[in-house]
Amino acid sequence: MRKVLVGSITIAVTVLLVQMQAQGRGGAAQAPAAATPVQDAVRYINPGSPTVPDNMVTSQPVPRLPDGKIDLTGPWVGGGSNGDIERDGGLKPGELPLLPWARELRDKRLSKDEPYTACLPMSVPRVNPYPWKFAMSYTSKGLSHIYVLHETGDAGAHRVVYMDGRKHPDDLIPSWWGHSIGRWEGDSLVIDTVGYNDKFWFDSRGTPHTEQLHTVEKWTRLNYGRIQNDFTLDDPGAFSKPVQLKFTGRLLRPDLKTGGGDLMEFICLEDNEYGAAAGLQGIGSGTGNK
Amino acid sequence: MRTKFGILVAALGLFSLTAPASAHHGFDTEYDATKKVKLTGTVTQVAWTNPHMRVYVDVTGADGKVTNWNLELTSPNSIRRAGWGPNDLKPGDKVVFEGFGGKVVESRGSLQSITKVGESKPLFVGGGPNAR
Repeated sequence: MRKVLVGSITIAVTVLLVQMQAQGRGGAAQAPAAATPVQDAVRYINPGSPTVPDNMVTSQPVPRLPDGKIDLTGPWVGGGSNGDIERDGGLKPGELPLLPWARELRDKRLSKDEPYTACLPMSVPRVNPYPWKFAMSYTSKGLSHIYVLHETGDAGAHRVVYMDGRKHPDDLIPSWWGHSIGRWEGDSLVIDTVGYNDKFWFDSRGTPHTEQLHTVEKWTRLNYGRIQNDFTLDDPGAFSKPVQLKFTGRLLRPDLKTGGGDLMEFICLEDNEYGAAAGLQGIGSGTGNK
Repeated sequence: MRTKFGILVAALGLFSLTAPASAHHGFDTEYDATKKVKLTGTVTQVAWTNPHMRVYVDVTGADGKVTNWNLELTSPNSIRRAGWGPNDLKPGDKVVFEGFGGKVVESRGSLQSITKVGESKPLFVGGGPNAR
């Protein structure tokens, strides 16, 4: 048993470390290449959210809703980027077609200036690495809305996806989550969103966008344990051409009594002490017991 | 407690094959990787607060001065999902902890591991240069 435990510890910590380093969660705004190996490895006690492992993704059939559609509910962990949208979306370094001004802005942004550190929404697709789920809303007219609930969404912790056939209004006021309309393509849910503001960052690296941002997410449940987000990013204000990215979400492990299988409460402003250890003032609002 | 921790770690080994996605912000902005500390003290508060959980520990220096360390973890949801509960660490517990000091306020640290005095295994261990 001891050997099994030691082996389990080794596997778990090794995998966590490798993946932490590979994905750079919450890393500094500077390009990952600028970080030393030691800095890149240093993290908080951060076990992550337990998800269905690779060898169990086909252990159960893909569940379906009463109307026959594949159940996309989740909750899921993943399907977006946090540390670096270029890398996490499957591109090679430098392939993200940022316009020169946008690349320059990304390179000079500092982690301490992230809107997210002040508990503002991370928006699409950055929030997806944190637990989230689709919530279908049925009325007498059928599926009229899908709400996307984000555990770490903070202000505006849900997105509304209109499924009733409406179009995007032509007089949108730019907002953190934009205006989303959805449709089905077979068993895939396609979400088309415009009307974003330009305030959130795509990643902690500082990748910017403009109010011309238009995103298309095509969500496909690959099997019991995985969901894929084929993500089209089009923003002529900051990118020279549309770009296609791909992210994978993992099903939150449903059989844990410690919050497994569902979203939990998260109130970012409760005690946000961000910056205090570095002597920074006016970012977080909390002070702890000091 | 050890049995519970063993189950937790085994569960992590078998099931938690995903990258954590809970760090609210970067390490480098606030903490100094060169300020590695390993200290012994007494827990004064275990704060299951958002966005990040914190453990406060009184540490008595060689000069007799007591410093209350404010140690940051990740979100309480992540810690809870990993199996750590409110009874695992309480005020009054004597602990050995490892972490990194704050860039400016050194006693605001990033917690890497924490172990009750007299026990051989940490309650939890985070990723770090010396992570096991």
